[in-house]
Amino acid sequence: MSNSLLALLILLFPAAGAIVLAGRGWRAPRMVTVIVGPGVVWLSFVATLVLFLDKASGDFTYWTWIKSGSFEVPFGILIDNLSIFMCFVITGVGGLIVTYSVGYMEHEDGPSYARFFTYMDVFVFSMLLLVLADNFVFLIVGWAMVGLSSYLLIGFWYQRHSAVVAARKAFVMNVVGDVGMILGTFVLFMNLHSATYSSVFKALPHSDNGTMELAAFLLLVGAVAKSAQLPLHTWLPDAMEGPTPVSALIHAATMVTAGVYLVGRMHPIYDLAVYAHAAVAIIGAVTALFAATIAIVQVDIKRVLAYSTMSQIGYMFLAVGIGAYSAGFFHLLSHAFFKALLFMAAGNVIHAMQDEQDMRKYGGLWGQMRPTSISFLIGSLSLVGVIPFVGFFSKEQILGLAFSKPDDSMVLVLWLVGFATALITGFYTGRMWWLSFWGNASPQRPVEHPHAPALVMMVPVAVLAVLATVGGVLQLRTIGIGPAVVTDFLSQAVGPQRWEEGGAAIAVGIVTMILGAAFFVWARTLRPWSTFVPWAQHLLEHKYYFDDIYDAAFVRPMDRAASFALRDVETPVIDGVVVGTGRFSRWTAREGTVLQSGYFRNYALVFVVGVVAIGGGLIVMRAFS
Amino acid sequence: MSSLNIGGSQLDASWFLLLSAVLFGLGAVGVLVRRNPLVILISIELMLNAANLTLVAFSRQLQNMEGQLFALMSMTVAAAEAVVGLAILVDIFRVRDAEDIDDLSELRG
Repeated sequence: MSNSLLALLILLFPAAGAIVLAGRGWRAPRMVTVIVGPGVVWLSFVATLVLFLDKASGDFTYWTWIKSGSFEVPFGILIDNLSIFMCFVITGVGGLIVTYSVGYMEHEDGPSYARFFTYMDVFVFSMLLLVLADNFVFLIVGWAMVGLSSYLLIGFWYQRHSAVVAARKAFVMNVVGDVGMILGTFVLFMNLHSATYSSVFKALPHSDNGTMELAAFLLLVGAVAKSAQLPLHTWLPDAMEGPTPVSALIHAATMVTAGVYLVGRMHPIYDLAVYAHAAVAIIGAVTALFAATIAIVQVDIKRVLAYSTMSQIGYMFLAVGIGAYSAGFFHLLSHAFFKALLFMAAGNVIHAMQDEQDMRKYGGLWGQMRPTSISFLIGSLSLVGVIPFVGFFSKEQILGLAFSKPDDSMVLVLWLVGFATALITGFYTGRMWWLSFWGNASPQRPVEHPHAPALVMMVPVAVLAVLATVGGVLQLRTIGIGPAVVTDFLSQAVGPQRWEEGGAAIAVGIVTMILGAAFFVWARTLRPWSTFVPWAQHLLEHKYYFDDIYDAAFVRPMDRAASFALRDVETPVIDGVVVGTGRFSRWTAREGTVLQSGYFRNYALVFVVGVVAIGGGLIVMRAFS
Repeated sequence: MSSLNIGGSQLDASWFLLLSAVLFGLGAVGVLVRRNPLVILISIELMLNAANLTLVAFSRQLQNMEGQLFALMSMTVAAAEAVVGLAILVDIFRVRDAEDIDDLSELRG
């Protein structure tokens, strides 16, 4: 089978799955949904695996989609090590999560069940399109479609008002980013006259710096919105209204990392646009710290995970922002492992607790849900960055590279922010774990004896737990020994690692890990310092008032403008004109009937008077001319 | 050449036009003031023939046969029109006794 066909098949499997399940697919036996839903994702995984083993690479063009003068958009798939890498994350971790959903969503009735898997397959298709596109137009198509599927899945339980509101918020925020993406593409197209990656990157050296900065900043808007970075982050915590597998797949493992992918894919542009590149790193570092501090005071287990996702993606932005692309992508992979693990383990707990998400109402699950507790602990330790879990290798690599980047003092400041974030991460993760699993059962706990998760839910969790434990071997060079598989693999696409971690960086990394782990342990007894400072606690509980500011700055003025338009424009002016036209017609008709007297004489008189008037007028005009 | 040779005597064309205008005026007044439908029809005929007179007068004056032909044509039309008008009147009289045209005002808006 040719590589170009295989590359197309990666896309076609999930699309076919979605089509099979859409519409009245639920009329088929439930088993069809169970097999087709996750099955197509696994088929894509196999196709990716074959391409990987073939060491395939290339830019396959299938047909011309748009042709208008010199503007030409081919439907093309770019297979290189970066897209293969992303496809592995999407179809591998995605496959595990969709399989897990078979158990998690079992309480849904037939139509909803099929609808869920339809949406999931649509999402996987869109995400694959995003990473496989070889031009900006299809990138934007994929970019917008993942936003759409995210919207559909957040609002999956559409009977719940909060879910609908959260879905709408996510969609609107994402559209802000889409606009940035589209404008950035316009800027590139106007200056470089192409929408295909390869020709754009080829033309880059001939373009001026200001244009590149502008394009890079506009693309960054898209990346920031999709990856929930400051200041377009407010949708992600609310997105937790969706079912837990959705949070795991879209809002932790894949979609929200699209921004990192974008910066990595566009690295030739960002390498030229130094200010935009620095902005990526700064936004990442600030978001990492910002989100970690909010996570300290959250009580909803999924919201803690959401903020930690924001924080970890901040790390990835930091990495790609300072030019350590492969480190950023390794963290993307490792984060996909451990955050999907955390979400699915949390999903097991939520499932057993009858949808209770408040951690304060758990407690004492260690004895009753042992496998889930252990998995969650593995994920937590990985998140904190404890050796030998995968998180240690990826996070310490980013921090180590930031620490030892030559000739750049600003990066050292960013390292400090990342270092502080790592300690806070230890604290909030510890707080979450101890609160949920340790100690005695909370008196408010909804279930006395939680049931064990189904096998189909436990197996993906176990697989990810294993991956999160041993994944570090891919990147042993972080601690100075052994290979760096991911870095070497990605060097084909994003270039080799540009500088090495020094020995000092490794030592500092070990210290960071020890401190993080210490905070994890202390979190059992320690109360957050902010509880002693009422205003700080207030600030954190209100998430730095971002939602309130946006509410006051955008939402309420829009509301007011809308109600003004309704009350003072729509009703009196628009309706007035329309209704007035009708009223005027009826008035003229009523008054006009007087003319139609029915008397022959009147009509004849009008004739005669008219003839006389016209004739007289003609005579008068004659006389005076 | 402003006069017409009628039976050997010269008569100014304006006399014919004046006569035609008077006949037309009589017809118009008749249409407006009379109430009997039959009389109104006759008045309309009068107006038509006033117009015919004008046509013929000008035809003679200008030595152009078109006017006379047109007068013939219009007489034909007048005959047809009289047939239609009388038929309508007969029909109305058959349904009811309408001596006054003002009784026929069902189309009042």
